[in-house]
Amino acid sequence: MHRLQRAVVLFALCVFTAFAAGPFFWVATMSLRTTSEISRDHYAWPGTLHWNKFPDAWFNSNYSTYFQNSLLVVVSAVIILTLVGAMAAHCFARYRFKLNRFFYFIIFSTIIFPPQITIIALFQILVQYGLFNSLIGLTLVYVAFQLPITVYILESFFARIPGDLFEAARIDGYSEMAIFWRISLPIALPALSTTIILNTILLWNEFLYAVVLITDEDKRTLPLGIQRFMGDQMEDIGMISTGLMIAIIPVVLIYAFFSEKLIQGMTAGAVK
Amino acid sequence: MATVTLDKLCKRYEKSHDLAVDHVDLAVAHGEFMVLLGPSGCGKSTTLRMIAGLEAISSGSLAIDGRVVNEVPARDRDIAMVFQSYALYPHMTVRDNLAFGLRRRRIDGAEIARRVDDVAGTLGLAPLLERKPFALSGGQRQRVALGRAIVRDPKVFLFDEPLSNLDASLRVSTRAELIRLHRRLGATMIYVTHDQVEAMTMGSRICIMNHGKVVQIGAPLEVYRRPADTFVASFLGNPPMNLVKATVENGQLILGAARLALSPALLATAGTARALTFGVRPEDLAQSSGGEGSFGAEVTAVEPLGAETIATLRIDGSESELNARLGRDANVKVGERIHLRPDLGRVRLFDAASGVALN
Repeated sequence: MHRLQRAVVLFALCVFTAFAAGPFFWVATMSLRTTSEISRDHYAWPGTLHWNKFPDAWFNSNYSTYFQNSLLVVVSAVIILTLVGAMAAHCFARYRFKLNRFFYFIIFSTIIFPPQITIIALFQILVQYGLFNSLIGLTLVYVAFQLPITVYILESFFARIPGDLFEAARIDGYSEMAIFWRISLPIALPALSTTIILNTILLWNEFLYAVVLITDEDKRTLPLGIQRFMGDQMEDIGMISTGLMIAIIPVVLIYAFFSEKLIQGMTAGAVK
Repeated sequence: MATVTLDKLCKRYEKSHDLAVDHVDLAVAHGEFMVLLGPSGCGKSTTLRMIAGLEAISSGSLAIDGRVVNEVPARDRDIAMVFQSYALYPHMTVRDNLAFGLRRRRIDGAEIARRVDDVAGTLGLAPLLERKPFALSGGQRQRVALGRAIVRDPKVFLFDEPLSNLDASLRVSTRAELIRLHRRLGATMIYVTHDQVEAMTMGSRICIMNHGKVVQIGAPLEVYRRPADTFVASFLGNPPMNLVKATVENGQLILGAARLALSPALLATAGTARALTFGVRPEDLAQSSGGEGSFGAEVTAVEPLGAETIATLRIDGSESELNARLGRDANVKVGERIHLRPDLGRVRLFDAASGVALN
C-alpha cells in the first residue's frame, strides 16, 4: 500500500514537471535551431547546435540594448518598491494614527483595477510630465503598479513582529528610523525576499505598459524586443526562442538564488 | 541610582471613559526595590510603561532624579526594561543583543566588549554569546534579557512580569538571582507582577493597585499584617485573610452565635453597635478547647498539605465560612465541630460599607 501511494505521488509529480518544464525545454531546443529547421519539424532534436544564434541576437538584433534597458528599469523599480513599500508597511503596521486603516484600504483597493483601465490615464499623465517614451517614466509606472501588493505582503509580515522588540529598541536608545533599518528590515528579510522575487519576475516579463509607453527602438525592454521578430507575414520563431532564452535566464538565476528565502517568506510563522 | 517620583499620574486611553491609571502618587527611593502588585487590568503595567516612556502621560508628573521627564522620550530617560516576552532581537546573537544598547551610546568598542564579557560572566552567558535567541532555553533567554538591562548600567531598572513565562522551579531560582542582583548593584528597581509570592519575597516595599488606583504602599510584612482595606486583605496571602460579617454590641464582637470580648483599644476604633467586617489571617486562628475568646465552628473541608493542614469551617450560627491554618498533625474530620481562638492582637476590623480598615 505504501509503495502504491509513493508510485501515485511520483507519477503526479512527473506529470506536473513535464507540464511545467516541457515548454521551457522545447523553447530551449528551438533556441539552438534555425527557423527553417523548426518549420521542417517542430519537435525534432537539434541536429546542429547553433550556439552562434545567441551572440547573433545579442549583437546584431539589438538584444544587448533591450537587456540593459530591462535591467535598468527592473532593478531601479524593485529597489524603489522594496524601500518605499517596506517603509509604508512599517508605518501601517506599527504606528497608530488617524485614518491608518483608511489609507491602507485606499492603497490596497487599487489592486482590483486591471491595467487596461488605468493605462489611458497613465499615458496622459506621462505625456504631460514629459515622461512618455522614457525609461524613468516606465520605472515610475512600474513602481506605482506594484506598490499596493508589496505594501500588502510586507504589512502583514511587519504586523506579526512583536511590539516589544520595537519598545526594547526604543529604550535601548534608537530613533524610529534606526529601528526601521536595524530591527524591522533584518527581521523581515524573508518577506522582503518574497516581494523582491515577485516584483522582479513580474516586471521583467511586463509587456502591456511597456508596449504602450515606449516607442523608441533603443528604449525597448526585452519583451518588446522579442515582439520585434513577430512580423505581419512571418514570425522568426528561431530568433524568438533565442530571445526568450536570453530573457528567461536572469529570472531562473534569481529564483535559484532566492528560492529558499521565498519559501521561508511564504511559510513564515510568528517571529519569536 | 536614582529616585523616581510619580505625582498624581493619570492615564486615559482614547475612547475610554475611565482612567486606566488614576492619580497615582508614588515615591521610589535610591536603591529601592519597589514592586507594583495587583490583579490584571489594575493599571500596574501601564504605570510602568509611563515610567519607561512607552506610554504618553495624560496628566500628573513623573520625575527621575528630581527632573520631570513627562516629555522626555524613552531613549533619553536612562532606564532599562526587562519585558515579559524578553524581547530579544531574533536576528542578532546574544553578544549583539547585549551590545546593541551600548553601540547607540557611542561607547568605545573595546569598552563594549569588556562590559559584555563582564555581564556574560556574571550571568553564566559566556558559552552562549555566539548563539541566536531561538537556540536558547526560556531561562537562558531570560538571563540575556536581564544582561541587556545590566550592561547598560541605567539609572532605573524596570521589570514587567519577567518571570511569568518561566516554569515553577526556574522561577524560584531566578527570583533568588534577582534579589542577589539587586543587593549587588544597589540599583533602583521597579518590578511589576501579579504574583504575591514574588512581591513578598523581593520587594523593599510593595505598592498594591486596584482599578488604576494605589490602595496601599508599605513593606511586605506590614502590608500583609495590616492591610488597608478588604481588597488588600483578600488579595494577599494564600489562603487570603478571612473576612466575616460581624457587629459590635455592648463592647463585644458578635460573630454568628459567638461573642468575643474586644480589647479597649479595638473597641475604641470599632465604636459601638455598627456593622463590621472582621478580618483574621488563617494562621491567627488556633484550635482550642473552647471557653472565653473562642468560637465554635463545623469543619466543612480539610486539606492536609504535609507541612500544615488547611481546614475550611462554618461558624456556628452563621453562613460565613473561614479557613484556618492548623498544625501538620491536626486531626480534624469533615462534619466535626471544633473551637477556634483568634489572636485578637492580630485581627483587623474593616468598615462593612467602605471596606476601609478601622484599626
